[in-house]
Amino acid sequence: MNPATVKAMTMMVIALPTMFAVIAVFMLATTVLHKTFPAPPEEESGDEDED
Amino acid sequence: MEALIQQYPWLDELLMGFLGLSWKHVVMWGIGALLIWLAAAKDYEPALLLPIGFGAILANIPHSSAISQVKGEEGFLFVLYNAGIGNELFPVLIFVAIGAMCDFAPLIRNPKVMLFAAAAQFGIFATAVAATFLGFSFEHAASIGIIGAADGPTTIYVASRFAVELLGPLSVAAYCYMSLVPVIQPPVIRAITTKAERQIRMGYENVEPVSQTTKFLFPIMIVLIAGMVAPISVALIGSLMFGNLLKESGVTENLSACAENELANLVTLLLGIVIGGTMSAERFLNYQVLLIMLLGAVAFVFDTAGGVFFAKLMNMFSKTKINPMIGACGISAFPMSGRVIAKMALKEDPSNFIIQHAIGVNVAGQVASVVAGGLVLALIPALAKL
Repeated sequence: MNPATVKAMTMMVIALPTMFAVIAVFMLATTVLHKTFPAPPEEESGDEDED
Repeated sequence: MEALIQQYPWLDELLMGFLGLSWKHVVMWGIGALLIWLAAAKDYEPALLLPIGFGAILANIPHSSAISQVKGEEGFLFVLYNAGIGNELFPVLIFVAIGAMCDFAPLIRNPKVMLFAAAAQFGIFATAVAATFLGFSFEHAASIGIIGAADGPTTIYVASRFAVELLGPLSVAAYCYMSLVPVIQPPVIRAITTKAERQIRMGYENVEPVSQTTKFLFPIMIVLIAGMVAPISVALIGSLMFGNLLKESGVTENLSACAENELANLVTLLLGIVIGGTMSAERFLNYQVLLIMLLGAVAFVFDTAGGVFFAKLMNMFSKTKINPMIGACGISAFPMSGRVIAKMALKEDPSNFIIQHAIGVNVAGQVASVVAGGLVLALIPALAKL
């Protein structure tokens, strides 16, 4: 196989799982952040309006 | 003619434009005109395609002073190229502007949407592999794959490092296909989903509001995590999140408004015309560019399919079913992809409103594409040494 193809495949094999791992860390951190700082009741209406 | 010029040397100076003209220049004028027409008549990414089209015309007038590289007589497009693209400044500034426009609240409410965004980056890597089969070097193939990030600034950033000679065609392909999302995504989605799947409803129960503190801390947190994993991506993710921090801090409204409007407009204007200026006939009219345009379409198709199939996979294990179409919004063409998918859902069932879910995935796509770009930036030099 052409060396460029081998490198591109290696990139895919490394990058895709790494990206899912990074995204999993983002998800976990975002969930913790969201739970740690819940919106006070008065922010609810403002947030709904915004969306 | 030559005898005439020898006799009257000033004629050469006067007629140099006509004498230097070739069919290739005329074809490039046609391509420039086509881009301007797409922008003006069809409203396809007009803020970019119009300056790119005009820049392409400027670059293809024989002996154009706009692109002159003669010392002491440098053309303005050459000066701007060195000032903003050669050093990667313009893409980074565009990211500040995009960050100021993004509202990450839908993503924070439902962080799972980031998984679809990650899956929708599959096109980047699949296209890079496909490009190597067509004879491109690894560095060029990876830069072509980045078109699949559906993110113009990331494409420009990677190309200006690893495929500077392909910068023009890569940028044009990225922006053209981004504007063609409403044309590319629907048929791909229809081909790989059933009508019943496209009609799946997604509720808005248990949707918690997001506090201002969370929105404020989110960009800082993302920069720290992404930066630690791929320090080379800090310029991209850092500028995106800096723009968002300006917006969410609530104390820099003027700066946020400036980033969102004046900065975005100014840099887009300069970026477009400079990219157009790199589209000289010698660089653009070749077989490679045709292949790049083809591979760009392949990247968008793979991205769309990757996101949809991942959503279908999740449905196999989840009690609450997800409309698989929202997986396709994981590409970073924001907010166009989210809107297109929401419209498709409404077409299938006029009472099925999935816009918030779709936009959430689409915003996550913005983050995931930068992470993917960062990983590619880190891996190209490492793997190229092998």
